[in-house]
Amino acid sequence: MRDALLINYEYCTGCHTCEVACQKYHDLEPDQFGIKLSQIGPDQIGQRRWQYEFVPIPTDRCDRCVSRTAKGKLPMCVQHCQAGCIQLGSVVEMASKIVSDKYVLFS
Amino acid sequence: MEKEGNETCCAPKTADDPTGRKWTWEEDGFTVVRANARTAPGCHDNCGVLMYVKDGKIDHVEGDPEDPYNQGRLCLRCLTLPDMMYHEDRQLYPMKRAKEERGNPDAWERITWDEAFDLIETKIKALQAEYGKECVDIAAGTGRDVIIYETLLQRVLGTPNQGMGFFPGQACYIPRSFSTNLKSGALYEGDYSQFFPDRYDNPKWKRPDYVLIWGNNPVVANSDGTLGHWIVECMKRGTKLITIDPKLTWVAAHSEYWLQVRPGTDAALALAFGHVIVEEDLYDHEFVDNWTYGFNEYKEAVKEWTPERAAEIADVDVDLVYAAARAIGNAEGWALQWGVAMDQTSEGFYTGMAAYDLVGITGMFDHPGGMVAGIAPFNIGFPWIPSKEEVDWIPQDPAMRPPVSKPELRGLNAMGMPDAESVVEGMEGDAGSNDYTIKCVWFFATNPLANEGAQPKRTYEAIIEGTEFNVVMDTWMTPTALACADVFLPVATYAERSGISGHQPYRTGAIVKAVEPAGEARSDQSILVELGKRFCGEEIFPFDGPEDLYDYMMKRSGACFTYEDMKKRSWAYPEVDYFRYKTGGLRPDGEQGFLTPTGLYEFYSVALEAMECPAIASYVEPPASPVSTPELFEEYPLILTTGARNWGYFHSEGRQIPHLRRVQPEPICRIHPDDAKKYGIEDGEWMIIENYRGSCKQRAEVTPRIKKGVVSCDHGWWFPERDQHDGTYFGTFECNPNNMLSYKPGSVGLGNSYKSDLCRVCKA
Ligand code: SF4
Ligand code: SF4
Ligand code: SF4
Repeated sequence: MRDALLINYEYCTGCHTCEVACQKYHDLEPDQFGIKLSQIGPDQIGQRRWQYEFVPIPTDRCDRCVSRTAKGKLPMCVQHCQAGCIQLGSVVEMASKIVSDKYVLFS
Repeated sequence: MEKEGNETCCAPKTADDPTGRKWTWEEDGFTVVRANARTAPGCHDNCGVLMYVKDGKIDHVEGDPEDPYNQGRLCLRCLTLPDMMYHEDRQLYPMKRAKEERGNPDAWERITWDEAFDLIETKIKALQAEYGKECVDIAAGTGRDVIIYETLLQRVLGTPNQGMGFFPGQACYIPRSFSTNLKSGALYEGDYSQFFPDRYDNPKWKRPDYVLIWGNNPVVANSDGTLGHWIVECMKRGTKLITIDPKLTWVAAHSEYWLQVRPGTDAALALAFGHVIVEEDLYDHEFVDNWTYGFNEYKEAVKEWTPERAAEIADVDVDLVYAAARAIGNAEGWALQWGVAMDQTSEGFYTGMAAYDLVGITGMFDHPGGMVAGIAPFNIGFPWIPSKEEVDWIPQDPAMRPPVSKPELRGLNAMGMPDAESVVEGMEGDAGSNDYTIKCVWFFATNPLANEGAQPKRTYEAIIEGTEFNVVMDTWMTPTALACADVFLPVATYAERSGISGHQPYRTGAIVKAVEPAGEARSDQSILVELGKRFCGEEIFPFDGPEDLYDYMMKRSGACFTYEDMKKRSWAYPEVDYFRYKTGGLRPDGEQGFLTPTGLYEFYSVALEAMECPAIASYVEPPASPVSTPELFEEYPLILTTGARNWGYFHSEGRQIPHLRRVQPEPICRIHPDDAKKYGIEDGEWMIIENYRGSCKQRAEVTPRIKKGVVSCDHGWWFPERDQHDGTYFGTFECNPNNMLSYKPGSVGLGNSYKSDLCRVCKA
């Protein structure tokens, strides 16, 4: 099984950097994505509680940046994520890093 | 004058160890150049970049994992640097155009740099001989580090008139930086560990218990040398947020307390926070008793500001006012993360003071996880705020007139900056009591017709009718350049030039030329050196190039660095300690205390009293509001706020870059679903926003994120893809919300009402 991307979306600010970092490295057009943001909310779920969150979702264009990892570099999105909330590794290793709510694992 | 290097110096002590750090290497067929990023393209930060060069061109850019500043990360703007550098619309050659042909895209004539400098020298010297040196206005943008060289340009041209381009009240950090300097003798920044090269692991550092985010969207704005995502790193380490914003931003949604304030009423909230902290005895007695001046006056001033009163004015729940005030009152460390919404209320100067006094009563100065004094690293001030020593070698005429202004704008006048409307009046031939004539505008990395200038059509007409000669330095043919320039000078990007970085007061570093400039572009600094030779002479400007100039200025500041030193080590961190007011580290005389007239933090500013300005924080209703102008409000029943920052753009930049434009293709005005329903606006439709000064057209985003009764307009828009011949200047006047804003600054000349005016909306 290929490596998995683990996102801690508690901290994803929706900054679009992962999308563009991937696009630029892989020569993708602005409407082609290796990873794409989705948005939850804004949804008022309590008197003072709002859900307004983002989750980046890898696409079939994502090759896990094999050409970078082979050289010991981090994938573009992992390195440049402004919130430091994306990791790449084996499914088992990534699953072990789910230590609180709001993680999502893409195998 | 002497201009030898700084070879007699010993290397200064730094907190980082550069051993083994390389500034360039070969990798996979690329030459890699390590450097700090900077303007152009514009930004307030200087993240560590690795530029990958092949065949004399930048192939791609990555973040530098070893650089403590950004720890390997880059945002989408630096990631698209090559797209900007090699874009077909980038301007690459100096050009001139006859004055009568302003606005005509076909009238440009390519010239050499020598011809451009000859023309500039002849024209400006002749105008200054006829109208006085002050007939030149230097309008600057905010991209760092180049904005700083505006101070040198001002000295070179010998005019007193320089400031943010046509921006009333200089309302971009300047009101706050002036008031904080008066009150505490320095600027203080939230402590997100950025002062230490080992960052979050530094044993002296503590994460703030709370960050109070006030009128700022830090993760998008990255303003003033603060990378907003540092706060996200603090959140991972347990920091909680309090956000004051009329809009539900990401940080607001992730805050313990979010106060959805009525725009322009922030000072009332700040005074009420102070009220709670004083009344409930949550203030720092040790600090207040020993290190402050005017606490009794402050106590008196906040007495009437009960949370109930402030909550009604600011339209927030009163228990949130209590809760937020108690949270910071009880915090061990808390940081104030404030934005231009502070400055952009009519009395922005006093709003900033009211918020800053909360730092004062809780004793957060030079406090771990609090606020840290932004002192020039190694005394190198010029990439941030030049010191006197760094610029006073360029002589000034002692008889130079004060900048164009109005006598009652005493705060602005004390700062020595021009009043934006007076500049316009100086072009319109009606500068009132100042009897000023402005005949030339030098646009220094700024695009005020699309971006920060008030009433752009009036400004445009004044420039076209009133000036004899205008120069634009830019990378693009902007609306301002197309409309106003007689000479266009193409400038280099950060990959094409050298520089000393460090607007943020934590560290300094090098901007490194990785490739030759595209076309005939030249760096702002090399343009400045040539102008210096021509206007001040070789005696004063003997420099062979910019690096020579940096070395000379660093020598004058007493820093034992040369540009070459800095280039080789890429960055340098000074050793920063907390509580410097106790150790004498804040004052040149080495005495304890703050660098203020009393040596104390001043709730009551002695200097302001001397200027005959109110010396203590207060709240004043915005000049146009539901409360101050109820009749106007009947006609214009929505509050207009402007200038929200968007991902990927730096003010009016970036619309040409496809990967950035995709993120936000058009100007957006946010409106609450209830208001949209009332005025028949559908999500995604074009909408007219208008008031008694003018109107603009933007796409409606119907969203519950914006406070009911408020609309929030984007700023800085133009459509570079439009035909330059269509007479619309890239459509900028159609979509510019500044059509609705006023040139009038706050009472002391600082601050404006860009975030709180009135308007109405209808379907376009
Ligand atoms: S791992 Fe690489 S290919 Fe996959 S989304 Fe991230 S940047 Fe794109
Ligand atoms: S870069 Fe990180 S923070 Fe930004 S959108 Fe992507 S996952 Fe979210
Ligand atoms: S904040 Fe973004 S644009 Fe600014 S220097 Fe950092 S990566 Fe570059």
